[in-house]
This record gives sequence, C-alpha cells and structure tokens, in this order.
Amino acid sequence: MLLLRASELTGRPVVTLGGELLAEIKDIVFGRTGGRIAGFTLRNPGLFSRARKDSLPWSGVHSVGRDAVMVSDETVLIPAKELAPRKQARKADVLADRVLTDNGRDLGRVVDVVLHSGISLDVVGYEVQASEALGTAGRRVLIPLPDTVAVSGENLIVPSAATEFISEDLAGFGAAVGAFRSWLRRGSS
Amino acid sequence: MLFSQARKRNVVNTTTATRVARVDSFVVLPGPARVALLRLDKVQLDKASGAGTLLAWEDLQGFGPDAVTVATDVVIRPARDALEQRAEDNDLEIMGKQVLTERGRGLGPITDVDFDPETGAVISLITKTETIAGQRLIGLGSYAVVVSA
Repeated sequence: MLLLRASELTGRPVVTLGGELLAEIKDIVFGRTGGRIAGFTLRNPGLFSRARKDSLPWSGVHSVGRDAVMVSDETVLIPAKELAPRKQARKADVLADRVLTDNGRDLGRVVDVVLHSGISLDVVGYEVQASEALGTAGRRVLIPLPDTVAVSGENLIVPSAATEFISEDLAGFGAAVGAFRSWLRRGSS
Repeated sequence: MLFSQARKRNVVNTTTATRVARVDSFVVLPGPARVALLRLDKVQLDKASGAGTLLAWEDLQGFGPDAVTVATDVVIRPARDALEQRAEDNDLEIMGKQVLTERGRGLGPITDVDFDPETGAVISLITKTETIAGQRLIGLGSYAVVVSA
C-alpha cells in the first residue's frame, strides 16, 4: 500500500512517457464524493512559476510515483475550469477544518490528507493536529477514514471507532486503515 | 561497447582514406532501443562535408574498434525533421539524463550506455546503482529517460 501525504505532491514534476517535463503539481482537486481525487491543478516548473490554465484529470494519470507523476502525453491535459469550478474547489478544501466523531467529539484540525496510490488515488485518512480528546494533544496523528467518505467542508464526521485505529506515522497507517475498514464492514453486516 | 569508450572515435572516409570528423555523442531512440544517429564534432569536420553534423547509423560502413568508417562524406548531413533537429541541438543527449520508471520512480542519471557496434542495438542503460536492460526503454525526452517498471 503506497501511502503519501497530499502536501508531498505539490511541486512534483509531471512527465510524459516520452521523457518531456510538462508542468509541476500545484494543488490536488478532490472529487465531490467517494473520497477520490478528481485531478491536479498545475504550474509551470521553476522557482517563480505561474499557475497554468490547464489541469491534469485523474483519468489522464499513468502513475503517481515518488519522484514524478507520469502521463502518456500532453493530450491528457484539460482546461482547469473543466476539472473543478472555483466554488467546488474551495468547498472541497478540508485543510484547517475540524474532525468530529459521530458522537460529537472534536479530534482536531486537519493539517494534511493521506492518500493511497493504486489504480486510483484515494483519500484514506486525515492528518490532524490532535485535540485534548485524543490524549496526544498538540501532536500530529493520522485518522483512518471509511472508504465511502465524502471529502468536503461539511463532511468531516468520522465514526467514533476511528479513534481506536489512530497512527502516528505513515509506516503503520496502511495496516490501520485496512483494520478499520474491515471492522466497519463486519459491523455493518 | 560503452558510449564512454566509443566517443571521440575518428570517422574515416574509406574512399579518400581521410579523417572527416570525430564522434561527439550518440542519439538513442526507443522502440526498439538503438543508436539511431551519431552527432559529430563540428570542429573536426572537413569543410567538404557541409554544414551538417549528423550521421545516421544505417549510413555507416562500420563501427570498428579503432575508427568509424563511411564510404562518402555526403552521408554527414544536417537534420531532416524536427526529431533530428532536436538531436542536432543536443536536446536528446542521453548521458547524464535522469532515469524515471513509468511508475514515477527515479533511478538516477545515466552514466553510460552499452551498445552492440554491429547493429547499434542498445544492450543496457547504466546508472550509478543499476544496469537497466535496453528493451526497457520507453521514451527519451529533454527531461528524462523513461523505462518500464
């Protein structure tokens, strides 16, 4: 399970299979439902780079790697406004939002989003600045999400059981997400 | 034979028995991975060979241990299309270019390339830590060499 923080993708080069550098990742655009990534906004490479008017939809991504995001060629890019209207992009930005359990406990403030890179790029957890409720107050911890969660400013509610599967680093988080989701499936059957 | 060993080799016209140029670098193309062109050292070029600096692999008489041979100077020519123009401008130089797998993982820069001097086929791409089979080459652009995972 290749896990990465959303913030790590910023600045990652977008390279074609023909070896050409097209752009750098500027931001992630979250899909409206299902915890999926819709795609990426782009900027030109370089120190004083400008945002670009085109964007990279997830359907155009060949792979997301440690050192580059690979695409087949430049024809996969689409106008940025087609990927996400500005209003939607703002609504889907969860950074700084609070995470509440379904029984009303505030777990902390979102500082990053944890993604799983596979056939699709899925949101599997939040990294939060822990609140008093967690006993690790002030520290950053990783909270697993159910596989059907919607990532939006109105939906930062997690099942209270998620607090039983919290990790402090990415190394153990993959197993925690798997265990949490199995637990949820067992609970609902 | 390694690019590092074959570079700077003299190009000799076998009709006139004169040295007409020196190999400066190699242009590799994928599908299948091969040396498609030689870029020749301009300074060493004979005036009679004109303005071009490219020599296509199929126009070679031989790539020997001591010299590259051609039957005539005419085969040393300028670029004929956009891809060859990029090659002539050194945009496709493979040495020192970073290697990425199609999964987006960096394998370090190319330090040398092993090729078959009989056919021009690329046998392997060499980085500081890895030897990558030539048939894994997918693409070569101005930014990176891309290989299958």
